[in-house]
Amino acid sequence: MADLRISALHKYYGNVHAVRGVDLEIPAGEFTVLVGPSGCGKSTLLRTIAGLEDADKGTIEIGGAVVNHLPPRSRDIAMVFQNYALYPYMKVFDNIAFGLRSRNTPKNEIEPKVKRAAQMLAIGHLLDRYPRELSGGQLQRVAIGRAVVRSARLYLFDEPLSNLDAQLRDEMRSEIKRLHQELGKTMIYVTHDQIEAMTMADRIVLLRDGLIEQAGAPLDLFERPATRYVAGFLGSPAMNFIDVRLIASDGAMALRLGDGKTLALPQRRTASLAERIDHPVVLGVRPEHISRAAASERAGLARYTAIVDLLQPTGSRTYATFSLGGTRAVAELQAHDVSAVNEQIELSVDMNRAVLIDPATNRVLS
Amino acid sequence: MKSMQQGTFAQRNFKYLLVGPAIFVLLLIGVFPLVYLLMVSFQGITMTETSTDFVGAANYKQLFEDPRLWQALLHTVIITAIALPLELVLGLAMAQLFLNPLPGRAIFIALMVLPVVVSPIVSGATWSLLFNHRFGPINQIIGWLAGKEMVLLWAINPNLVYPAIIAAEIWQWTPFMFLLLLAALGNVDRSQLEAAAIDGASWWRTFSRIVLPAIAPVMTVAILIRGLDLFRLFDIIWAITQGGPGTMTETISVFTYVKGFQQFETSYTAAVALLVVVLLSALVMLLLRRVELAR
Amino acid sequence: MTPLARRRAWNLGLRLTAAVLITLIFMFPIYWLFMISFKTAAEIYSFPPKWYPGSFNLDSYLVLFKDGDATTVGNSLVVASFSTALAMFLGFICAYSLARFSTGGNHLANWIVSQRMIPPIAVVFPIFLLYVWFGLVDTYIGVILLYTAFNLPYVIWMMRGYILDVPPALEESALVDGCTRWQVIWRVVLPMCRAGLAATAIFTFVFAWNDFIFALVLTRTEVATYTVQITHYFGGQSNFWGKISAMSVLGTLPIFVVTAFMQRYFVRGISLGAVKG
Repeated sequence: MADLRISALHKYYGNVHAVRGVDLEIPAGEFTVLVGPSGCGKSTLLRTIAGLEDADKGTIEIGGAVVNHLPPRSRDIAMVFQNYALYPYMKVFDNIAFGLRSRNTPKNEIEPKVKRAAQMLAIGHLLDRYPRELSGGQLQRVAIGRAVVRSARLYLFDEPLSNLDAQLRDEMRSEIKRLHQELGKTMIYVTHDQIEAMTMADRIVLLRDGLIEQAGAPLDLFERPATRYVAGFLGSPAMNFIDVRLIASDGAMALRLGDGKTLALPQRRTASLAERIDHPVVLGVRPEHISRAAASERAGLARYTAIVDLLQPTGSRTYATFSLGGTRAVAELQAHDVSAVNEQIELSVDMNRAVLIDPATNRVLS
Repeated sequence: MKSMQQGTFAQRNFKYLLVGPAIFVLLLIGVFPLVYLLMVSFQGITMTETSTDFVGAANYKQLFEDPRLWQALLHTVIITAIALPLELVLGLAMAQLFLNPLPGRAIFIALMVLPVVVSPIVSGATWSLLFNHRFGPINQIIGWLAGKEMVLLWAINPNLVYPAIIAAEIWQWTPFMFLLLLAALGNVDRSQLEAAAIDGASWWRTFSRIVLPAIAPVMTVAILIRGLDLFRLFDIIWAITQGGPGTMTETISVFTYVKGFQQFETSYTAAVALLVVVLLSALVMLLLRRVELAR
Repeated sequence: MTPLARRRAWNLGLRLTAAVLITLIFMFPIYWLFMISFKTAAEIYSFPPKWYPGSFNLDSYLVLFKDGDATTVGNSLVVASFSTALAMFLGFICAYSLARFSTGGNHLANWIVSQRMIPPIAVVFPIFLLYVWFGLVDTYIGVILLYTAFNLPYVIWMMRGYILDVPPALEESALVDGCTRWQVIWRVVLPMCRAGLAATAIFTFVFAWNDFIFALVLTRTEVATYTVQITHYFGGQSNFWGKISAMSVLGTLPIFVVTAFMQRYFVRGISLGAVKG
């Protein structure tokens, strides 16, 4: 049974149609990430689920019951805010206990619950401090502790790690993931960071302009994106997009680049492309699928000779920028594959993994 | 631009020249009178006696034994103790009412500014008018409610003078509290309120545990400012009762004025004035220290 | 309408009603004052009191102009304007020195703030004696000087806060470009503080305009302000309500007009003052 079901949800902010008809079903215990650029409606969607905003159309069901008319406190949810939203005039203990006290939890139950939540988040030693004495990471743990202590049905996270520096973010990401494994509750997590989405989600829901662009397991979206947008959003560095033309050559199909060179397509991919011959398409290939050509290679790899314009070494890998048929592209090479700029290099492009996109609809061709 | 070794006198002492004129004026009006008061309070100048010989602490002794003075202080404290909390609570309630969007909100707020900019004398005169026993609408309204003609002597009846003065005072200054608190309430972090809503806190719980502590600093400033003003209350009382009936509504400022400008007890008035300054300074210092400690 | 929406509408309706009621109650005295000033003497002293005038009667006003009493409003204007200008000027440069150079450190700043706490009644007496000695009683200069002095602490306190909000980088850039510090104050800092200046100036002006006790003590016939003039109409047995209300309106109307235009600044002045304080 779905723990959360959203049907045909619409939300307006004045004249802005922030959420344009979203349908979503989230099974119990799943960690769902709502991801997308700013303004895509992910925060609005989350806040509407929480009851902090009213839905204009559509229904929200939590645990099978429609909750549209219920205030936040009655929806059995807990929420972690981006700026922590801790109560500055209360100690950490009281911050965490606030929700329990508001619901008239018996006094003798409050302390053990708070202590347990604090242990779970390794802040047991901070219970007597005030928020202003804590660091960003500690504050976020307290905020999470406040959410966790109440055993709600649904946990909502509104970009909780955006205010932390990179190292802390890495640390907290694993913390939250671990928490999810330990508690097993349904969690909905909003972020604009696609790395957070990929590493944490059981399911990613990619939003764009108030609509769901694609939803599914992270690797599904990564390897089988439905649209150009999804393909370009996930993965870092982003996928390369090249305008090409589909041509037939010697009984097989190939892609003609802007500079006249061609990349052959593997046989099994050409089945459904017959009617597109001589039409323009967009080639999408990830940097990690362009590597230095080896002496003998398996089928499906197309060769391309390129001159490197820019090198960005990261230590284990080096990103090389070059011109692929007239368009700037990035290849992910081994650290020492190229030693200098303006060097020529033989590249092999993995056409098994590349995607072809219909330039008219921006949908990925199968 | 720290220290410039060369340059003209003006350049080197630029920062002092900037504050100079202001300080000069302030010294004239701020320090000189206090010194003068101190001097005169130890002399024996009255309406009849013009000699400037020193009489020691005679004036101060008289001060402590003057029942009328202590009455005046009592009156001042009573008025402050009643008006201030009323203004605060009323202003807070109004601020809460106007906090969330409301059609025509800007107009309401613009209108509410008006009582504050009216001169206290005009305010007193207006309320004198309103409370007039024959031609004022207040008695008329009370008459409607009571079913018969009411001739309440608000400015003379000992039981009514305080309500009358306090009414005028509250009318004029609650909007000030209202505007101040409206700004403070608007500055409360929204996400804290949302977190409390999700945590299940009732309205009162959210208000008392989260909102009040957040606006406490502003409230303290407001209480300080208004408390001080109430202590120095003069204009409104002068307009409505002139301190009467008898000396019933004589506050410390009215008392000082009467002694100094009607009875011409110069030296005694100086002592009283000095006492007022000391009292106020002590009060302010105390309050400020508590504020600092709270921070 | 969904039940939620209905509840919201109900709430809004209640709030709006309450807001209207409260505003009406607060506006009523002002209405009454204005209304009385337009009544004839007969109407004013009629019983039971009518809540609206028979017609727009300007008798009370004409009397004031005929007797020359209306000039007191002019006095108020002169005194308030000059003292405000002077206080703003001296206060602004002093505030700049305090803000940017921390002149005198905490001691000076605290002393200046403490000056605001001085009760007028304590000061008015020795000032009066001083003025008698210098022959400044009932002179424009005397009153202007006093109002300036009394407003300075407020102006300095407020402007210091506003100046501190101006990014120093702006001034530093101008200095590098070749401006003198004096030029920087007037060309760079002043425009950035426009809103704060307006708010402070209004408050200062209103304070001087509405003052009573200083005017009462320090003016006689030449420089009497409208506030003092009003009290001349209070009689022992009966008051000249027509004159009182007309004079009050004459003195209050200009402030209302100014406030209406500068309402934004006024509200900001009150709220920011507290937040910064």
